[in-house]
Amino acid sequence: MPGSSWPGQQKEIVTLSFIDLAIVGVYLLACLTAGLWMRRFVRGVEDFAVAGREMDLNLGIASLAATELGLVTVMYTAQLGYEKGFAGATVGVLMAGAMYVVGRTGFVIGPLRRSGVMTIPELFQNRFGTRVRWLAGLFVVLGGVLNMGVFLRVGGEFLVHVTGLPAYSLELIMVGLLGLVLLYTVFGGMLSVLVTDYLQFLIMGLGIVVTSLLVIGDCGWNSLVQELWVSWDGTRADGTRLAAHPFNPFHASSLGWGYVLWQALFQVAVVTTWQTQISRVLCAKDEQTAKRMYQRASFYFVGRFALPVLFGAGAFVYFSHQGGLTGDLNSRTAMPAYLATLLPAGVLGLVIAAMLAAEMSTDSGYLLTWATVIYNDLIMPCVKRPLSPRSRLLLTRLLVCAIGVFLVFYGLLYELKGNVWDYLAVTGNIYLASVFTLLVSALYWPRSNRHGALAALVLGAIGPLTFLIVNAKADQAHQIAPEVAGASSFALAFLGMIIGSLAGSSRADQPVTEVLR
Amino acid sequence: MMYFFILFWTVMVFASIAWYGFLLFYVGAKGGREIARLTKDLSQRED
Repeated sequence: MPGSSWPGQQKEIVTLSFIDLAIVGVYLLACLTAGLWMRRFVRGVEDFAVAGREMDLNLGIASLAATELGLVTVMYTAQLGYEKGFAGATVGVLMAGAMYVVGRTGFVIGPLRRSGVMTIPELFQNRFGTRVRWLAGLFVVLGGVLNMGVFLRVGGEFLVHVTGLPAYSLELIMVGLLGLVLLYTVFGGMLSVLVTDYLQFLIMGLGIVVTSLLVIGDCGWNSLVQELWVSWDGTRADGTRLAAHPFNPFHASSLGWGYVLWQALFQVAVVTTWQTQISRVLCAKDEQTAKRMYQRASFYFVGRFALPVLFGAGAFVYFSHQGGLTGDLNSRTAMPAYLATLLPAGVLGLVIAAMLAAEMSTDSGYLLTWATVIYNDLIMPCVKRPLSPRSRLLLTRLLVCAIGVFLVFYGLLYELKGNVWDYLAVTGNIYLASVFTLLVSALYWPRSNRHGALAALVLGAIGPLTFLIVNAKADQAHQIAPEVAGASSFALAFLGMIIGSLAGSSRADQPVTEVLR
Repeated sequence: MMYFFILFWTVMVFASIAWYGFLLFYVGAKGGREIARLTKDLSQRED
């Protein structure tokens, strides 16, 4: 293992040097300037929420990649790498496959972009009526905001562990990060988000590539593979064991066949229904741009999982040579603690700037998306008198601020236990099953109606909530597997849609062609 | 079978690094031009 530091002594944690701080400072200043500069072009809600639908292909790729690769993504995938080795990156391969197929065929995203809506629930207005639109909007916001609730805390954990800052600075980092993001998102909306996403995409890509090369250089690829293998088969001299097969995701100790098959289907729902991804489709100049954006960005999502998994696997081997995790370290915080020993001065600043970019681009995109859904689908359908363009813009900006304040309190009060990936999957599933069912039915099944839509919404949400409660009460042996819980939610939602639509005829519902205008 | 998976992840990791590097330059250059065009279009709008 030439160049490896594993068998030797524990390395010193690198502290932030002047050059590190300068890199981070320049990055933050550039982002803030670019974000605030775009404010001058915002004339109304259409500019604020969907950038006037002026987004071209490469800007779309940068924005989609930057938004969907957050610091929380790096943290939870590294945690998967620490616990499951490279098999933990399987979801990324499945997601990339789903994105490519959806981009190639235009499944859902084609007609959705043609419809000219600003949010997914808006599509349901013509097809299923205001009540379904409102209820779908509520589910989208609930699932989305709860999903985002842990972003700040997990992002703050990374920064605390990689810089060696004291634990009490976590809250200050959370509030400071959010304040910066709010500043440009509130004023410039999607136009600011697109331009800052572009800058963040560049710095993030550079940081991830440099870190990947350093991790491989630190240990050597062959050695890393060998170390993972002997940790799995139990032949390591120090007795350290890896509980899951590090390479084969189908192995019973790893994800298993059922989970992989379930994820292959689930990722189709994610890439067609997750509102933050779809908002890029709705910002695109036209349907063709949206489809090409999905195809070209698809392989990025392999790296979104595989490279942080590489960091996590490196951390596992490093700490197994140090006698295991000590102090307050766990499988989630092992990766930043490992990077703190690995990155030299200057590179540490670049990686911190890259991870700040990952966090900020995700936060800004998510804040704007959920605020737009609240404005467009929860408030506007209830407003009797039409609001002036100025009032509508002010309302949307206030909603972005309100979600920001909620996130700070939720992040401070909610103590995340267990695996981050499981938390994100459960909260996301609150709306994915039901809204995906509505979306597919509204676009492709002429007989679907509002009775079926209401049944699908209720049954699709009851599933994940029931499993959540059952798993909280049941002991380990009687827990419901996530693939069973997830697949049942989708089955219940589709069953509700079919039975409800066939049982209740509704002449008020508009045909599919009317939805697409 | 195990060697297939090791080979698979080796290809995925190194291809990802190469793809991220390529996108940095390609999307970096093209995206910059698109931002310039976007701001020009927005500033030339009526009203």
